[in-house]
Amino acid sequence: MSSTIDEIRRFAEQRHYRPATLERWLVLSPFDGAALLQLAQSLRLSDNQLRDLWAWAGEIAARDQHSLAEVLGSAEICSALRQPVGRHDQLKLVKAALRRRRFPQLSANEDRMRVLVRQLNLPAGVRVELPEFLEGDELTIHMGVRDPKTLRLAAAALLAAADSPTCAELFHLLDEAP
Amino acid sequence: MTAWTPDEVWIERSEADSAVARRVRERLPDLPTHVVDDPSSANPYEFAAGKRRLVVQRHRGTFLQACPAGTSGLVCCNYLVMNFASNCPFDCTYCFLQDYLRNNSAIKIFSNPEDGLAEAAAVLRAHPERTFRIGTGELADSLALDPISGLSELLVPFFAAHANAMLELKTKRDCIESLLHLDPKGRVVVSWSMNTRAVTANDEAGTASFDARLAAARRVQAAGYKVGIHFDPLIDQPGWESAYREAIRDIFRAIDPKAVAWISLGSLRLGSGLKAAIRSRPTATTILDGELVPSPDGKDRVWRGVRIKMYRRLLDELRSVDSCLPLYVCMEPAGVWEKVFGNIPSDRQLADHLVGALA
Repeated sequence: MSSTIDEIRRFAEQRHYRPATLERWLVLSPFDGAALLQLAQSLRLSDNQLRDLWAWAGEIAARDQHSLAEVLGSAEICSALRQPVGRHDQLKLVKAALRRRRFPQLSANEDRMRVLVRQLNLPAGVRVELPEFLEGDELTIHMGVRDPKTLRLAAAALLAAADSPTCAELFHLLDEAP
Repeated sequence: MTAWTPDEVWIERSEADSAVARRVRERLPDLPTHVVDDPSSANPYEFAAGKRRLVVQRHRGTFLQACPAGTSGLVCCNYLVMNFASNCPFDCTYCFLQDYLRNNSAIKIFSNPEDGLAEAAAVLRAHPERTFRIGTGELADSLALDPISGLSELLVPFFAAHANAMLELKTKRDCIESLLHLDPKGRVVVSWSMNTRAVTANDEAGTASFDARLAAARRVQAAGYKVGIHFDPLIDQPGWESAYREAIRDIFRAIDPKAVAWISLGSLRLGSGLKAAIRSRPTATTILDGELVPSPDGKDRVWRGVRIKMYRRLLDELRSVDSCLPLYVCMEPAGVWEKVFGNIPSDRQLADHLVGALA
């Protein structure tokens, strides 16, 4: 047990963690503390990165009445950590997995909206961005064009999309949770 | 419900002969009382301990202020607040005071309410063309300390005598006895913060029960007061739709919708400090289980699609009770107003609408 505590202290010192973070960490149960250490070590998390992931994991644990170790050891997180990608992308995957579990209804809504965006069949240079956490009533359209012809094609595709039932459903989902 | 009683009283020495201090001593004769030069020394280290200590001290700042809900980017109802007290004896799980007053937690009654009323009188005289809505329930429950302070006996006659002001007393208690023999002349609204029965029972410790609030509302209505209802904070919990529907039906079985001044809806909103304070409470709560996400004003709220859905369902239910009920949402941006009400009022239009509803 003391070796885990020593390891946490050593890791926090190496990564220049704030004393407050370490203090919170050390009062966790040994299993939770060790699970957090494993995550922090495998992703080489900075203080801010650790606290972000910990916040969501803690909220999930409180809501689902699980331990932090159970949340961090869940299939989604383990699967994200097994992906053969770089550390930065692994962090993104872990974050996405935690976000999905913390905000299931919001994530389902976002997923459905992304499917609808794909169904609009917009040209390659046109990208539709959803508001962060769907906390807004606007979709942002990014358009990259190289000449008048591709501009006309993109504009025509957007006009056609605007009149489609798919687009209506997209804005309806932005308007109110299903 | 018995009135709240602190464990001890601290009085600022220079205010010991004030009417408020004398009244407090008369009404709490058996409590240990300390007369001190510096009342700030009364704030204990522990927030909860502060709630057991009553301090009578002079208020040295401005009493009358714009409601902080008028944050940039949000639709505002031009509400004014007057703080005659600070902190609240109740222990609602979601209360922002546990963060806002964490270093200033003793319950304070200010000894110079006459100065506040003089400020209000000057503003009312300077703007006779406007009608002001002024509330005392921002940093304290408006009526929780009334059995000790007797403040309503000063406030109600003052507002009854001023044609261009409405006083709102916001409460979660049923301390209304002192109001019943006063004549508000239609210019005092007594408002209850209401929630589902489950939230009331689980997350509003020390307050009056759901039914006790309604019984008190019925009595003040009979005594000539308008009644306000604040569904704030709405909590996104499983079954919220039927729980709020049932709450609305119960409320309007008890009170007459025609004598309702206004009804507000507001979602749970949490600054980072408040969220941490709620998490560190000794008792478990489910109010943080909802899908709370960061909003542009820096506070976490349940995400917009759920908020809009909650507002729409509750507004539909309220309109089915009486289509003329004056309704508004609190601390929401124009985009949410548009989706919920179909229009975006200016701050002035909203204020006029709420005041006009009282005519």
